[in-house]
Amino acid sequence: MDRAAVLNHEFTVAAYTITWCIQLGYLALLGMKWRAENRDARRRGAR
Amino acid sequence: MKKSLFAAYAAVTVALMIWGFYQAIYVAPEEQTMHEVQRIFYYHVPSAMVAFLFFAISLVGSIGFLASRRNHPNRAQMFDAWALSGAEVGVVFCTVVLITGPLWGRRAWGIWWTWDARLTTTLILWLIYVSYLLLRRFAAGPQVQTLAAVLGIFGALDVPIVYMSNRWWRTQHPAPVFGGGPDSGIKDPVMLAAFGWNVLAWLAWGILILSIRYYVERRHQLYAEVEAQEALLAGD
Repeated sequence: MDRAAVLNHEFTVAAYTITWCIQLGYLALLGMKWRAENRDARRRGAR
Repeated sequence: MKKSLFAAYAAVTVALMIWGFYQAIYVAPEEQTMHEVQRIFYYHVPSAMVAFLFFAISLVGSIGFLASRRNHPNRAQMFDAWALSGAEVGVVFCTVVLITGPLWGRRAWGIWWTWDARLTTTLILWLIYVSYLLLRRFAAGPQVQTLAAVLGIFGALDVPIVYMSNRWWRTQHPAPVFGGGPDSGIKDPVMLAAFGWNVLAWLAWGILILSIRYYVERRHQLYAEVEAQEALLAGD
């Protein structure tokens, strides 16, 4: 593999990895928000 | 029933994502001039398409909120939840576009960024919607939703400008893949299929996270309303 091909491969892997990190990171954030809402609801119910 | 439907949809979405990835990396042939780095296109373009769609949902939600906020407050809250969800998920996809684009550009053009019309208008679009989210997050008071709705409508006006930018002006950004004249379009049927599968997969994924975001926001609105009523009763 020449240097250009290696760089092309690395940039492609970086693009796919970053995309998935952003999407899954956002999904995790939504999950935490969801849990926080449920916790608040339980606390209000207990009051 | 609702839970099992949601789980089935999520399972189909994950299967589509895996299939789309397989098509983009292993099935689609390597492009002759850009070689492997062209595969970024299979994530970059569908992300842009989904971002535009969700900004359009935010636009409809914002208009609906402004139209119904006086006479139908419950409906207005529903519209507001769609506006916020569309803007937030749209920003996530637009962020992907603004990161994968320069990664491709560095290899194809030799530069990370250039201030051409397509790139600049996309960055402005992203900044407008980030400011929308900051307004929603940090401002307080009864007018926040109205101000955000107005900002959301102005932000959406940038979407057709972004779309038309490489038709109206000469840009460094490649010519439109679709609808850009007789030479546009993907000629290789295998590449076209890989592109189509990835559009479908990212659209399904986008709808999945949009629906979760909408659900979380509606619950938040419900609890905020209950809390406000409790505060009013405690005040009496």
